[in-house]
Amino acid sequence: MEPAEAEFLAEKELVTIVPNFSLDRIHLIGGDLGPFNPGLPVEVPVWLAINLKQRQKCRLIPPEWMDVEKLEEIRDQERKEDTFTPMPSPYYMELTKLLLNYASDNIPKADEIRTLVKDTWDTRLAKLRLSADSFVRQQEAHAKLDNLTLMEINTTGTFLTQALDHMYKLRTNLQPGQSSQSQDF
Amino acid sequence: MAEAYFPVGPGLGLEENFLSLDDILMSQEKLPGRAESALPRLAFALGQGSKPGDSLPEGSKLEIPLWLAKGLHDSKRRIIFLELPKIYKEAWRTVFSADANVVDLHKMGPYYYGFGSQLLNFDNPENPEIAQTILQAFNSASLLQTFISRFRRVMDCSQNAYNEDTSALVARLDELERALFRAGQKGLNDFQCWEKGHASQITASSLIQNYGKRKFTEVEG
Repeated sequence: MEPAEAEFLAEKELVTIVPNFSLDRIHLIGGDLGPFNPGLPVEVPVWLAINLKQRQKCRLIPPEWMDVEKLEEIRDQERKEDTFTPMPSPYYMELTKLLLNYASDNIPKADEIRTLVKDTWDTRLAKLRLSADSFVRQQEAHAKLDNLTLMEINTTGTFLTQALDHMYKLRTNLQPGQSSQSQDF
Repeated sequence: MAEAYFPVGPGLGLEENFLSLDDILMSQEKLPGRAESALPRLAFALGQGSKPGDSLPEGSKLEIPLWLAKGLHDSKRRIIFLELPKIYKEAWRTVFSADANVVDLHKMGPYYYGFGSQLLNFDNPENPEIAQTILQAFNSASLLQTFISRFRRVMDCSQNAYNEDTSALVARLDELERALFRAGQKGLNDFQCWEKGHASQITASSLIQNYGKRKFTEVEG
């Protein structure tokens, strides 16, 4: 899976926009949207929000978590804990990139937010490498990674599964049953 | 192009994959051994005699490719006796267990893991205890330990080296580790491209660029 595909899934998330046009309720396959009234906030998927924004037909309201203080708190929490902490959105990286690229004029302190999210991302990836290393070192066969997001899994996923695949084969090289080690999952 | 091409990967177990090019190359590697019976008219084929028709006396030293060794090796009929290559012997195993990261596996290999796994096929009937301890120790301690202790370095290199010359990093890696390194780099590069917004631009495929086709304007002029 490529990052663009993860982004595609992220575009289904809902954001609030303030349109400057009026339109009746529209019936789409994935659900009904609207009605749209000028000046009244309405929830739409990110893909539509970005499209409307590019056509200058709406103003975007940033998600609640996209705020400097909240993100600082999340970053500090992430640095303190050994395991992964829950993220404000399962697509925090994708949403930050999309919203900041297309609607940075609607988001206060866009640059600071960008830095904070990037910091959090770097912390989490360093943590992921550290835990992957100890996972391999102790020759574990399963792990639980509850709060990792799709994008994070995606960047190291292929590498990690391939490495574990090799390790499994090297462990089971001697006939099964003969070596006690290969059987004790 | 890369997505539509599914090469057969190496087997990395007791059995190699029949159609894997990596495994075919790996099975060309030579094994030291000696003939346990006379082999008539085979000296030339095994690279020893001077003219076709010479026979190979019993006990002469041989360098046999792995695929042939696997075919000739038989615990009952004593045709050849195979030795472990020196990088899989005790002395080198000690080096690996001390610090696997300093070893240049590409010079030793380049198919260190695959070849080592294949060697487990020859448990020797003459000295089962030695063979068994060697293989057991070598499998559970050496080969896997090597992989495990080198894992961190491969991972860090492949995930941190963005826009860097990686040839120095890759030079000492075994072929298996190189494939792993490429997978790690691809994940990182794809993500960086996406972050910078390159992923949303449509570019000409590398196949077309390599064709060296002239542009329409050049033809006109």
